[in-house]
Amino acid sequence: MNALSGARQAMPGGLRGLVARAMAADLRAFVVPGLDIARAGGLDPAGAGLRLADTPRHANVLLIAGPLPPDLLKAACVVWAQMPRPRAILALGADNIAPLPAPDAIGALSQDGLAEGVATLRKAFAIGAFARNVTHFDAPALAARIEYTCPMHPEVISDEPGKCPICGMFLVEREVSGAAPAGDGDHKDHHGQGAHEHGKSAPAQAAQSDHSPHAAHGDAAVYTCPMHPEVTSDSPGSCPKCGMDLVPQDEGDAQSGHAGHSGHGGHEGHDDAQDIPGIEPHFMSMVELTEGKPASPDGLIMEWIEVPFGPFFPGLPGGLGLILTLDGDSVAEARLHGAKPIPLPSGCPVAELPERLAAAFPLTHVAMRALAHRAIAAVGGGAAAPDAAALERERIASHLNWLAGFARQMGLVRLERQGAALQRVLVGAAAADIAAAAPGLRRFLDRVRRTPLLRSKLEGLGGLTGAKGGPVARAAGTAADARAKDQAYDGLDFTPIAGGNGDALARLMQRFAEIGQSLDLIARAGTIASSRPSSPPPSTPPPRAGHGMATVETARGPATLHLTLSDGTVERAHLTTPFEDLAPLATDMVRQMELADALISIGALDLDPRRLAA
Amino acid sequence: MSIFAILLGLAFGGWLMAALEGWAVHGRFSLVRPLASALALLGREAVVTRKSDRLFFETAPILLLVAGLLAAAVIPLAPGLIVADLATGALFLNAALAYVLVALIMAGWGPDGAYAMIGGWRFLGQFIGYSMLIVMPITAVAMRAQSLSTTQIVTSQAALWNVAYQPLGFALFVVAAMALAWLPPFDLPSGTGDLAGGIEAEYTGPRLAVLRLARMVVVLALAGAVSTFYLGGWLGPWLPGWAWSGGKTLAVAALMLTLGRHIPRMREARFLEFCWKAGVPLALVNIFLVGVIALVVPI
Repeated sequence: MNALSGARQAMPGGLRGLVARAMAADLRAFVVPGLDIARAGGLDPAGAGLRLADTPRHANVLLIAGPLPPDLLKAACVVWAQMPRPRAILALGADNIAPLPAPDAIGALSQDGLAEGVATLRKAFAIGAFARNVTHFDAPALAARIEYTCPMHPEVISDEPGKCPICGMFLVEREVSGAAPAGDGDHKDHHGQGAHEHGKSAPAQAAQSDHSPHAAHGDAAVYTCPMHPEVTSDSPGSCPKCGMDLVPQDEGDAQSGHAGHSGHGGHEGHDDAQDIPGIEPHFMSMVELTEGKPASPDGLIMEWIEVPFGPFFPGLPGGLGLILTLDGDSVAEARLHGAKPIPLPSGCPVAELPERLAAAFPLTHVAMRALAHRAIAAVGGGAAAPDAAALERERIASHLNWLAGFARQMGLVRLERQGAALQRVLVGAAAADIAAAAPGLRRFLDRVRRTPLLRSKLEGLGGLTGAKGGPVARAAGTAADARAKDQAYDGLDFTPIAGGNGDALARLMQRFAEIGQSLDLIARAGTIASSRPSSPPPSTPPPRAGHGMATVETARGPATLHLTLSDGTVERAHLTTPFEDLAPLATDMVRQMELADALISIGALDLDPRRLAA
Repeated sequence: MSIFAILLGLAFGGWLMAALEGWAVHGRFSLVRPLASALALLGREAVVTRKSDRLFFETAPILLLVAGLLAAAVIPLAPGLIVADLATGALFLNAALAYVLVALIMAGWGPDGAYAMIGGWRFLGQFIGYSMLIVMPITAVAMRAQSLSTTQIVTSQAALWNVAYQPLGFALFVVAAMALAWLPPFDLPSGTGDLAGGIEAEYTGPRLAVLRLARMVVVLALAGAVSTFYLGGWLGPWLPGWAWSGGKTLAVAALMLTLGRHIPRMREARFLEFCWKAGVPLALVNIFLVGVIALVVPI
């Protein structure tokens, strides 16, 4: 057993000892599922002596922040395979990370846990960076095969090259993970160069596990209520029993059916030119390369490539799957999908629901806990304890967390550090501490507003109207805010802030205005109730059966929970989050945008891709 | 002798600047860290992607290093302390730096990864913006010196540094130099939020070490060019000439490495728009003004 799970095969000692010590001093972490989750968990990697890597290729530590759902674990396997040896895993608050190898250091999801883990890793690197025998890493997610698909019609998939039966375009090849005829990956030698063959594609081009878009949602779709399966309709509408929006009945099938239909392909078509007669191999003829490809609206015929940006892309929220079909450097087609829905085990006791929901949504755990408490209280016909100040504190922290990530995306590293530092101060702070920090925070926001060229970069970018709620909708002038009808805000003199033209700049300004408003609300509320009430809501004993619903305005928009209880357990729970509202709008928004603009526009939406299975 | 002195200066400057860049990016200043990072990179696996264009992939970092070194060869540290005192030094600098574009496109194409490839082509777009703003300000500098020799350009500034004589050209040249070295806010080929490392994304181990070293040499060569063309090179009281030119070069490099991190990454379209609609006309105005001044007041 080596001191380091990802040791590099070489004779240790001598000069390598010196190199190993240098590596121990130079730890570079790639954070999964993302820096936003790490910050929400109170981590400060730089404070613990870690440097952040943009890509797995430049990292030697895989930092896992919190438990990962199976689909992200699969993607993390690809990331791990892409990291050059010597490499190590540091798992914080994540118990089971199989099929990844056992972590080199574990700890609680806290700054102390991180600091201890880093110290352990430094020792492990210093003595075990090089080893005579190394263990080979392999996982089903790394098996790859090549398939061919049409850039315009993703549902067309073939095992061999050819033309699309629908539009006649040449099919492009792409690499697909999983479910492969085994044996094509010869993963034996780990002497450096042969090692990472399977991790061919670039970093966050990591395994996208599912969700090829699907022609299923056609005219013949049947709509049903998520809570009342007996209600069906052949047109969209709302449920006559509970008033919820009906959903297409085949949605569940679409999510489970197409495992492995989109890969982490790099770019396709480089080899097309090899077959051109009379031209030496590798000579590129733009005419040949682009023959049969569709022309863009601007008339230029370019090669189309499909590039995944996620689930671990440094510029986007952790876990967000974004696949862009690029026509040159403009986006021809975008597909955006959330994380795989996290199932809530049936028969979950009512008392456990708030914590389970909070654990499933680490970015807005206070709001989700409050939502569960309110929904449970609603089943019994009561009301939950007022929690407005805790919700507002989370809103400020969440907006600052977003600001740090957005600053990183734009290359403003100093702003990223400042935003993250303020976010750490505010998470869990008492009302008095927040009041003390408020003037500094307001001055900071004023400074950010005056950042040179920020206005000109964001103005007019990613205009989005039609969102139903949340800061994105309010930034477009829609005064939709669930807090206006929320009893917890009674007496706090709350009126929604809305205005702006809906572009990325308006979203930034909207969040800044909301931070100021939240500071006022906290000051008016006076105290903040503990964000982790271990005691059940006041309507004790908790109701055992019935139906209830509640809505909470989270930092990203309204979240609504419909709950059916029977016999003290959760029979059905259906959660609507802002992601479902924003995702389709976002894919329309980025069409025909330049790549960088598209990514900034999506980053400005502050999407949280996590979902709960119905 | 000069070669060794220049190489030593580049190594020392590169080390200092790497420490400074570490501070700018990661918020901590450490003189030891760059050495540890470099040593650690040498010990890491050098991954080659599966369908890479091996020739391009391997050559790109070396070509970039060569381009940077050739550019540095015509920068005088002091009278006589120059690798090659060419009569066409300023033109040679231009020619050497043209290979930065080639190296980056090769680095983008080589590894067969989408992020790298987009990064490489993006730099081609960037080149269309900055290239004229490298050449045209140099033209005005050569007009005043009446020579393309870098040493004569320095001596021509004895009465008044070019930064005061032609401030417009200085500003344009610095912006173009930052774009050439793909420094923030012009780091389009390698931006974190856009491309997760871009052209660097697939390089690991020693190849990455060479690529990063080469980039630092390019930055230093450009800072040396700014100091030679606009800040009077080795001219200055009390201290020896090499200390003046070395100090000026390091100061310029430090500013180039840190300043851009306070403004958001430039949009490619906006950069091209600026370069061609504002930059090129301003560079022409600069040439005209320098011509008039050179005719009317001989300083």
